[in-house]
Amino acid sequence: MSPLHNLPEETLILLLKKKNQQAFSYLYDNYSEALYGVVCRIVASSEHAEEVIQDVFVKIWKHVDLFDAEKGRLYTWMISIARNTALDYRKSKAVLNEQKNQPLSNIVNSKEEQDQTQIEQSAKADFIGFRNILDKLKPEWRILIEMAYYEGYTQQEIAEQLDVPLGTVKTRTRAAFLQLQQLLKEYR
Amino acid sequence: MDIKGYISSGIIESYVLGLASEEEVSILNCIRKNNVEVEQAIAEAEKTLEELADIQAMAMPVSLKEDIWNKLNAENLVASSDPAEGNETESSTIDYNIEQNSGEKSEAVIVPRKSYNWAIAASVLLVLSVGANVLLYQQNNETKDKLTKTSASFDQQQASLATLQDKWRLVQNPEIKTIPLKGVENKPDLHALVFWDQLSKAVYLNLEQMPTAPKGKQYQLWAMVDGKPVNAGVFPLDAKVDGTSKMLDIPKAQAFAITLEDEGGKDVPTLSELYVMGGI
Repeated sequence: MSPLHNLPEETLILLLKKKNQQAFSYLYDNYSEALYGVVCRIVASSEHAEEVIQDVFVKIWKHVDLFDAEKGRLYTWMISIARNTALDYRKSKAVLNEQKNQPLSNIVNSKEEQDQTQIEQSAKADFIGFRNILDKLKPEWRILIEMAYYEGYTQQEIAEQLDVPLGTVKTRTRAAFLQLQQLLKEYR
Repeated sequence: MDIKGYISSGIIESYVLGLASEEEVSILNCIRKNNVEVEQAIAEAEKTLEELADIQAMAMPVSLKEDIWNKLNAENLVASSDPAEGNETESSTIDYNIEQNSGEKSEAVIVPRKSYNWAIAASVLLVLSVGANVLLYQQNNETKDKLTKTSASFDQQQASLATLQDKWRLVQNPEIKTIPLKGVENKPDLHALVFWDQLSKAVYLNLEQMPTAPKGKQYQLWAMVDGKPVNAGVFPLDAKVDGTSKMLDIPKAQAFAITLEDEGGKDVPTLSELYVMGGI
């Protein structure tokens, strides 16, 4: 379901600064599902995603006064809050799990593997049937977006894991963006 | 800078993914201010992520809306309730209170006359004292205002005096040659001065009458050496327009000229942007 975004962003910013229920309702009705989609793809379990999306709204609500329209759009800003909150959550969870379940020596090697399978399984279990336009990307491009955007790897880490030069990771990421732009255009 | 190459390096995508280094981000912020193409590419990449979020939106449990609203309320992050809402019940309770109060008042009116006199005297004194304070306060503010204005104009004059003194020192020095640069054909009103130390070969430039360089541009001085232009440095962006700036040392030249170049200067002058020149 695609959000409505009827209000121009400037109006929405003014509305949000009033901090009343009307502002909240508008924000929630128009943006929550998109932000929830981002959160779910990162934390990958619906129970945790619900916890995270609440934090996301509290943060947006609290920090809207700090939002600087010169540096970008409000929607972009909200998405990055959603993404960062979810990635932080994911990291803290991963750390907790390791501490509980594993002897120290195993952590280094199996961390990624374990995360990966865990996330894939729970993602499939929880969100069967969510549309994934990324599946239509060239596989070697898709993995870059997924690792960078939803899993929070740095490009250096991606280069090491996939064993390709850093420069290639960057130009391929751009190629992925361009193809994605095209796909989104067709979809509209 | 090769903007096409910069964009296709993938730096913008790294940036919108939040993966660019601090250094990369500060370079990018600098470039985006001066370059529409880069700014546009950033906006497009951000738009892509927004549309991706739109398309991947997911339905949320219905109860969450209320949960979050309650959470915001509990954390005291909500503006106190709208006066437009819930008016009726509130106003009726207020009316009721007023009625009660007026009942009490009618009894309280009978108060000994004497205490009123005291009260009147005290009020008069209070009014006088407040009046005096306001007057003094205003006067104080006026004085302060004048003082800041005077000291600002003093600072300004000091600064222009210092600039003049700098220039005077150069003009006075017998080793220094002053070379006037005159505006070219279509810019007859412009002129600048080059001060050239014949001993140390140091070159100073003063933009006597030149428009402020537009954003992203910088004036560059050239020495004409045996018919070839030699870079004599760019006029610093942070220098005062009427100030004198030290440029690169030039051992030998037959003429000087100034062109307007992209920030940072060029290796070869852009002749269509020639502003002033003058022979020795």
